[in-house]
Amino acid sequence: MKPAILITITSTVVLGTMIVLFSSHWFMIWVGFEMNMLAIIPILMKKYNPRAMEASTKYFLTQATASMLLMLSIIINLLCSGHWTVSTIPNPVASTMITIALTMKLGLSPFHFWVPEVTQGISLSSGMILLTWQKIAPLSILYQISPSVNSNLLLMMAITSMLVGGWGGLNQTQLRKILAYSSITHMGWMAAIMVYNPTLAILNLTIYIMMTLGTFMLFMHSSSTTTLSLSYTWNKFPLMAPLILMLMLSLGGLPPLSGFIPKWMIIQELTKNDMIIMPTLMAITALLNLYFYTRLTYTTALTMFPATNNMKMKWQFETTKKTTLLAPLIVTSTMLLPLTPMLAALD
Amino acid sequence: MMTYIVSILSIVFVVSFAGFSSKPSPIYGGLVLIVSGGVGCGIVLSFGGSFLGLMVFLIYLGGMLVVFGYTTAMATEQYPEVWLSNKAVLGAFIVGLLSELLAVCYILKDDEAEVVFKFNGMGDWVIYDTGDSGFFSEEAMGIAALYSYGTWLVIVTGWSLLIGVLVIMEVTRGN
Repeated sequence: MKPAILITITSTVVLGTMIVLFSSHWFMIWVGFEMNMLAIIPILMKKYNPRAMEASTKYFLTQATASMLLMLSIIINLLCSGHWTVSTIPNPVASTMITIALTMKLGLSPFHFWVPEVTQGISLSSGMILLTWQKIAPLSILYQISPSVNSNLLLMMAITSMLVGGWGGLNQTQLRKILAYSSITHMGWMAAIMVYNPTLAILNLTIYIMMTLGTFMLFMHSSSTTTLSLSYTWNKFPLMAPLILMLMLSLGGLPPLSGFIPKWMIIQELTKNDMIIMPTLMAITALLNLYFYTRLTYTTALTMFPATNNMKMKWQFETTKKTTLLAPLIVTSTMLLPLTPMLAALD
Repeated sequence: MMTYIVSILSIVFVVSFAGFSSKPSPIYGGLVLIVSGGVGCGIVLSFGGSFLGLMVFLIYLGGMLVVFGYTTAMATEQYPEVWLSNKAVLGAFIVGLLSELLAVCYILKDDEAEVVFKFNGMGDWVIYDTGDSGFFSEEAMGIAALYSYGTWLVIVTGWSLLIGVLVIMEVTRGN
C-alpha cells in the first residue's frame, strides 16, 4: 500500500476508536464504530490472497451486523428515554440488544465463530491490531452502560466464552488461532467482571493488550505462525525462547507474573459479591487455556523438537528487524505483580 | 385519499423491501430500490420535509443508484434472475410479504399492541404526530443546525465518505 494511503487509513482506525471513546452522543459512537470497521478492512487485506479476502469479508459481515443491531437499539433507547446521551439504559430491550451488539464486536461466545477464522486468514501484524486495538472501543461502551447491563446475559456469555476459548484452543497448532482463542477467553473474563466492578475489566484489558502485543511482536520477529516454526526459536533467536516462556505463562495467568493480577482481582471481586460457583468454574476453565500455553512453552523453550539435522546448525546472523517497544512490553507483561495495590487506584 | 397517502406509501415501501431482499439479480434489485427510494421520498415529503425529500431524489436516486445501475449493467449475466424465474427468490419474496402481513394482522387484531413501544390503533398509521412543531419547519431548522452546532458531525461524515472511497480503491486494487 502506498505510504500516504496507509497513513490515512491507519489514522482513521485510530480516529474511529477515539470518536467512540470520547463521544457522549450515541449517533457519534455508531459513526465511530463504522469508521473503525471501514478503515481496518484494507489493513486486514494487506496480502491479496483469497484467504485474506475471505477473512476480511467475514470480519466486515459480522461487524456490520453488530453495528446494525447497535443502531436499532440506539433508536429504541431514544424512543423510550427521549435523549441521545450515553448513560444507563432504562429499557431492557435496548440494553440487551446493545449488549449483544457489543459482544458480537468483541467476539464473545456465542458470537465467537469469526475470531479464529479471521485471525488465521490475515498477517501477524494485522492480527495484532485486530485482537488488541479493536477491543478497546466496544469495551469502553460496555463500561459506560455497565450499570444497566443484564447480568445474567453477560455472565452466561462470559462462562461460555471461557469454555469455548479453552476447549477450542486445545487442538490448534497454528499460533494465530491459539491467540484468537486466547482472546475469546480473556474477553470472557472481562465480561464476567463488567457487571460488578468495571474498573477491573479495564485493568484486565490493559494487561491483556500488553501481553498480546508482546506475544505478537515476538512471533513477528521470527515470522513464525505455527508451533513447528516456533520450536526452531532456540536456534534462530536464543534469547526469545525464555521470553516466550514468560509471556505464555503470563497469558495463562500464573503467579508471580502479571497475568495473574486480573484473574486474582476478578475472583476476589466476584467472591465479594457472594458468587462462589462462578469464580470456581472460571478458575477451573483457565486451566484449559494454561494447557495449550504450556504446550507452546514446552515446544519452544523446554525441549528440542524433532528437526532435520541442518536445522541444528544455523548461521547466526545479526537481526535487522526492528523490535520496537518489545523490551518494555515484556517487562510490563511479566513483572507488574508487586504493583497490584497501586492498580487499585485505577478507580 | 390524502388521509391515507402515508399509509399507502408505507405499504409500497415495505413491499418493495421484500422485493429486493429476496435477492433477484442486481438489476431488478436496483429497479425495486428506485421504487422504494421514490416512495420513501414521498413519505418524507408528506411530513413536510421538502428539502430532504428532494435530496433523496437527487443524491440517492440520481447519484448513487445511477452509478449502481451502470456498474451492474457492466457486470450483468446472460439470464438474470427475476422473481418468477427462480423458486428460491419467489419463495423468499412470498415469505417476506406473508410475514409483513402477519405482523399487520397481529397489530390490528387488538387495535393496540406493545412490542417495544406502544401502538395505539389505526390512527397511528395515518398521522404520526410527536407534538407541537412551532412556527419554523423542523426539517429546515435541522439542516441549518447541521452547519452551525453540528460542524463536528459534518467533518466526521465528510471524512468517513473520503475514507469509504479510499478503502474501496484499496480493496479493489488487487495487486
